[in-house]
Amino acid sequence: MLDTATILTGLGDAFQPVTLLYVLLGVMMGQFVGAVPGIGPVMATAIAIPFTFGMDPLAGIGFLVGINKGGLVGGAIPAVLINTPGTPDAAATALDGYPMAQQGKPLKATKMALYSSVTGDTFSDIVLITVSAPLAILALHMGPVEVLGLMLLAFAVIASLMGASIARGLAAAALGLLAAMIGTDPEHATPRLIFGNFEVYDGLPLAAVAIGMLAISELLSRLARTRSAQAATIDIPRDQPPEDRRVSFAEYWACRFTMLRGAVIGTLIGALPGIGSTAAAFISYASAKQVSVDRSSFGKGNIHGIAAAESANSSVMGANMIPMLTLGIPGSVSAALIVSAFMIHGVQPGPFLFEQQGRLIYGLFGAMILANLMNLLVGQVGMRLWVRVITAPESFVLTSALLLCFAGVSLAAGGLFGIGVMLTFAVLGFLMTAFGFSVVVFIIAFFLGPRFEISLSQTLALLNGDPLQLLAYPFGLAMMMLAPILAVWLVGRRA
Amino acid sequence: MQTDRIIGAVLIIFGGLLIWWIIPWQAEEVGYGWLRPRTLPYIIAIGLAFCGAWMVLSPVAEALPDANWQRAALCVGILVVGLALMSWFGFLWIAPPMALTLMLVAGERRLFWLTVGAAGVPAAIWFCIAVLLERPLP
Repeated sequence: MLDTATILTGLGDAFQPVTLLYVLLGVMMGQFVGAVPGIGPVMATAIAIPFTFGMDPLAGIGFLVGINKGGLVGGAIPAVLINTPGTPDAAATALDGYPMAQQGKPLKATKMALYSSVTGDTFSDIVLITVSAPLAILALHMGPVEVLGLMLLAFAVIASLMGASIARGLAAAALGLLAAMIGTDPEHATPRLIFGNFEVYDGLPLAAVAIGMLAISELLSRLARTRSAQAATIDIPRDQPPEDRRVSFAEYWACRFTMLRGAVIGTLIGALPGIGSTAAAFISYASAKQVSVDRSSFGKGNIHGIAAAESANSSVMGANMIPMLTLGIPGSVSAALIVSAFMIHGVQPGPFLFEQQGRLIYGLFGAMILANLMNLLVGQVGMRLWVRVITAPESFVLTSALLLCFAGVSLAAGGLFGIGVMLTFAVLGFLMTAFGFSVVVFIIAFFLGPRFEISLSQTLALLNGDPLQLLAYPFGLAMMMLAPILAVWLVGRRA
Repeated sequence: MQTDRIIGAVLIIFGGLLIWWIIPWQAEEVGYGWLRPRTLPYIIAIGLAFCGAWMVLSPVAEALPDANWQRAALCVGILVVGLALMSWFGFLWIAPPMALTLMLVAGERRLFWLTVGAAGVPAAIWFCIAVLLERPLP
């Protein structure tokens, strides 16, 4: 499908100084925000999207990918040092990381987290690079019926797995789809649910909705909980023996199978929409414990525990991009945000992406691999610096993030109207989270809504009122039938 | 259990409002085509009411969440007032007092952090966006 010249030119674009600079900036910012409990890479990506407007597409998307990858590494720092994961993905890392830090080896624990995170991430990026192009060729043969079936399957999986109950998962998906209905009806071009606001003729601005639901609602929740300005104090002793401050190659090599297992688990889970990196980290941790000859040492500072959790949670990111780049279906909120950045830069994700924007995609692949390398370098140098970040008061960090959201949304979504939309959805996101509804399901449904409606409309036109016509589309039909079966099975497993 | 029933009832009422009031009012009636403007919103509304009924009939044992409602409402109030004032006076003049109020609500009392948060951060944002990127702030 793609000639070698395009692939090599794309990979070469990643080495342009501007792209390298933005990827490096993204990684540094990601590690920084990952280290601050409460911000995290998803929120940082949402805030950063509007600021990529003026950038070259590859530099902008590379910057966002850098934030995501850096955030996964940064999230482990507070998990290890103060037993408070900077991101939910790092919760499993705290199980052995914190006890190891308590034993006087905080730097060893954070470095093992860094090395295993980069290893897992690189593994999943290699899978992404090798698998996505052939998958995209297959996806090119899919018509509206198959796309509709695939979306129904994605909705079924996501709604079944997220939220406090299946009813809540379905309700969150329905609310997301309802929000996507606001604007102009795609088949008849008539305004719908706009309540006289002509600003929403093209639909609600994705950046305002995403930042409101993901960032502002979380910031509100944390601001409401913050009552004291005190921050945790962290002490990293300077007179430690060298073996307690670093990870030797022998120690790293001893964890190779644990990391490989974690990377495979994370990649498989990441390729499925909706399950997420937190689940991958815990499954990998449990499997490492299961096969270990010294199970009792897990939870007491076993280096394999850190390797298992970090390699799995970081490998989810690359795999998340597989359904996004090949089918245009984001597997997670991070992927949905990166998709929105693609669209802001005039690039439509999906199977045609490889054909029409091959150079950009291979540039992105190059940037991802470079981001892993930079994660390693920045992490080596920055660990002691990020440790200081954790001591910044939450009141300052949260308020600064709020102001950034105001400024970012005003840039991305048309000034004060966009900020109003953001605040409305922040309140909705706060209420949904408080009552156990998944905002992730909402955002993914909101994002896929317009495409879902168009696919449904085209499918109905193709069937011409005769459901038996579906038999002519066996793959689409199989997906449609599999959706409820899979949902019931997943709900049964959850129960 | 009680919480689930209340949320379920809210979803049923919202679904009903959509079906009988909002969709007929806010989506045009078109007499042709396979997927009319009202079709998918109606399906979604029915789905919401169905989810609500499900929660009412088979509630999961959960207590009312402790989400610090009053303080959250106070923060939302500050943001809404800040947004309204921004439309009159602009980001540069409203962001500092808004940030200061939020930090005070969050319990921050140290002068250094209050100064950095209320003066330094808004000034840095204004410098980056209005001066460096040459984009307008509200």
